[in-house]
Amino acid sequence: MSAVLLQIENLVTAYGKIEALKGVSLEVAQGKITCLLGPNGAGKTTLMFTTAGILKPKAGSIRLAGEEIAGKAPHAIVERGIALVPENRLVFPHMTVLENLQAGAYQRSNRDEIEGDIEKMFARFPRLKERSAQEGGTLSGGEQQMLSVARALMSRPKLLLMDEPSLGLAPLVIEEIFRIVSELHRDGATIFLVEQNAHMALKLAHHFYLMEQGKVTFSGDRGSLAEDEVIRRAYLGTARS
Amino acid sequence: MIADLLQNSLDGLAQGSSYALLAVGFTLIFGVLRQVNLSYGPAIMAGCYAATWTHLHFGAGLISLALIAIAGAVLAGAYVERLCFAPHRRAGAGSAVGSPVAAMVASFALWMQFEEAATVLLPKHLYAFPPLYSGAPLTFGPFFLRIEALVTLAAAIAICALLAWILWRTRFGLAVRAVIESQRAAELAGINVPWVFVRVFALASAIGGVAGYLVVATHGQITPMLGMWSTLKGMLAMMLGGLGSLPGAVLGGLVLGMIEVHSQWYLGPQSRDLIAYLLLFVLLALRPAGLWPARTQG
Amino acid sequence: MDEFTIGVLTNIGLISFIALSAYLLLIAGELSFGQQAFFGVGAYAAGILTAIYGWPLPLAALGAMTCGAAAALLVGLPTLRLRGLYFAMATLAAAEMFRILFELFHFQRAIDGDLVGPDGTQGFRGIRWIFEHGIEPIHFLALVWALLAAAVIAFVLLERSRLGATLRATGLDPELAASVGVPILRVKLGVVAAAGALAALGGALFAHHNTYIEPRNFDIMLGVHSLAYALIGGLGTAFGPLLGVALDIGVLESTRFFHGYRMIVFGGLVAILLALRPRGLLDERFVHRIGAVFSRHGAARR
Repeated sequence: MSAVLLQIENLVTAYGKIEALKGVSLEVAQGKITCLLGPNGAGKTTLMFTTAGILKPKAGSIRLAGEEIAGKAPHAIVERGIALVPENRLVFPHMTVLENLQAGAYQRSNRDEIEGDIEKMFARFPRLKERSAQEGGTLSGGEQQMLSVARALMSRPKLLLMDEPSLGLAPLVIEEIFRIVSELHRDGATIFLVEQNAHMALKLAHHFYLMEQGKVTFSGDRGSLAEDEVIRRAYLGTARS
Repeated sequence: MIADLLQNSLDGLAQGSSYALLAVGFTLIFGVLRQVNLSYGPAIMAGCYAATWTHLHFGAGLISLALIAIAGAVLAGAYVERLCFAPHRRAGAGSAVGSPVAAMVASFALWMQFEEAATVLLPKHLYAFPPLYSGAPLTFGPFFLRIEALVTLAAAIAICALLAWILWRTRFGLAVRAVIESQRAAELAGINVPWVFVRVFALASAIGGVAGYLVVATHGQITPMLGMWSTLKGMLAMMLGGLGSLPGAVLGGLVLGMIEVHSQWYLGPQSRDLIAYLLLFVLLALRPAGLWPARTQG
Repeated sequence: MDEFTIGVLTNIGLISFIALSAYLLLIAGELSFGQQAFFGVGAYAAGILTAIYGWPLPLAALGAMTCGAAAALLVGLPTLRLRGLYFAMATLAAAEMFRILFELFHFQRAIDGDLVGPDGTQGFRGIRWIFEHGIEPIHFLALVWALLAAAVIAFVLLERSRLGATLRATGLDPELAASVGVPILRVKLGVVAAAGALAALGGALFAHHNTYIEPRNFDIMLGVHSLAYALIGGLGTAFGPLLGVALDIGVLESTRFFHGYRMIVFGGLVAILLALRPRGLLDERFVHRIGAVFSRHGAARR
């Protein structure tokens, strides 16, 4: 049994009066890939943003390696070792690829280590190296996704959050993204992944959760639910009686 | 005829330099916070009033007065930032629906405070301010250039160069540019965005303080109208050049200076402001992005 | 009621017109720094109509409102597609242009041996229709507040109507409104014209109350103040701007206590208030809650 790296308990996040997370509880195991599936509007991105500190929860707890981090500012969360690769990439459009990576390492101070990491990113993502002096906004969708992942990795996170990395990308590119996720895991990363593309996600995930209307409705290991059943629930939600 | 045109252009550039600095400071705050700070000019005025008061009671030298004006503007700016802008940050879920106008109206309220505080401190409407230079202007051929104008131009160039260095060669500058492009992405990259706001405010106020000091020292006098005047000029120049664009702010300031001097020469003093406002209005109606549009997203 | 109180209450009423004008634009989602221009247009127009052409005040007021709406359209048409700060700056530029034009405007006629009419920066004196017709200050106060009440009632009816809902929807999310078929540009034009007319009515009454107006009366300060009143009072109801004006002018006039420091105190209070209540005192949430109380009472009676 691996150690639990991230523990979320009864998390409630609201937009004004509307509760988007109605008491979410889940765990992310160290060194594993955990996947969060669910239909649109289930609250998956809200959960990611709350974990990353962009949104403040109304109630509940988020513990990273035992330390309570719920409600902390986003930069404090990055400091404690969580990095989010957001939905829609959010690269800095007018800053070069290199500057995007430097921004990701903003909290670090060891110049040599940072430069070493940038070289490692270029080795892992050769296309980024080719375009290192290009502005982020001029990259293709897939390249932006890679840049977004690389930027997040620059902070040397203990936990990598990824929100719908395959969104809006061509199938070939999606394969590449998931290959990278696999590689990262092989190199020891702990990844918490939100995906609509249930088919690909289930191939990678060791453990997955299903979220609907602000609550976790199912949790299981790879293989505990037939894939088509998972896909049905992920896209359409559970049938209401 | 040509001589007049050139002379006026020289004067316009000099005048425009202080407008450019005001616009740059205003744009920095707007670009990073996405808010209009109506207390921008009044904070500058607060600094200049502090310098005036010091001069009246202790008779300080030019450099000291400049430093006091700048420090005063930075302090006043920090007060504005804390009271008007920090509470209205894009709050997370669970808070009341904010108002994009609230911070601006709060900054207007502080503008009123600064104006009244200025008249409480120094009750007369007009005070003399030690001029930058009392001698004759430089002449070269048929043209003459006042020393104060030269100093203003030089200061503007130096400050813009310094700002460019800060933005493109320092870690802080990277953070500022990141926040300007995408506040959310900057947060996710681990940048302490509220702290960036505080520092940008200080930087913008300092730049404004320099501009204010140069204006007041060039004219040799100060009135409580300096506050509104500085904000207006800064906003006008910023819109002319292109909302949120730093190069645009500089260009807008210079263009505004040129327009004012030329229209005053050819059409009389009352036309000066009229033409500037007309130009802005027409520009907004036809090409709202300005003369040198910003490339950043909202 | 003593003269002083009548004066204060009249002032509150007069300024409420321009505050309501800014409020109307605010709830439609637009920020205007320039309503003072139409306040001024109304003042000058009404003054000219009564003092030079001998029109009765009611007709002159209507004339003023027409001029105000026309002036507003003059500003609003070229800027129709502008939003947010761009629109705000355009209104600022336009209003300043109007003010400078007032400074350049000379139109005097000899009436009964005196020169009457706007005289540029010297202003426009002799708008004495109220006094020539023996209208007491208290009557004028009643007139101002009656008209104001009519305006507020119109607002309340508007809020309850479909048009009002459309307006607020456009204000909150223009793209969404457009996508469900709201003709947002036409709505905006209507709002701009109506706000201009409303401000002009206030200006017309203002000119006759003061008997003397000058371009300086219609500067940026008035415009930004009106915006502030609307926001401080609250964006939930038309009573909001009135509350904002009453707080400022009422507090300002009655706290001789803070003489010389009242803007310092008031400004600080406003900033703190806005930090706690970004949409003003009578904001939408508050109004909704009050409404819920009343409907509960109504339901209980059934």
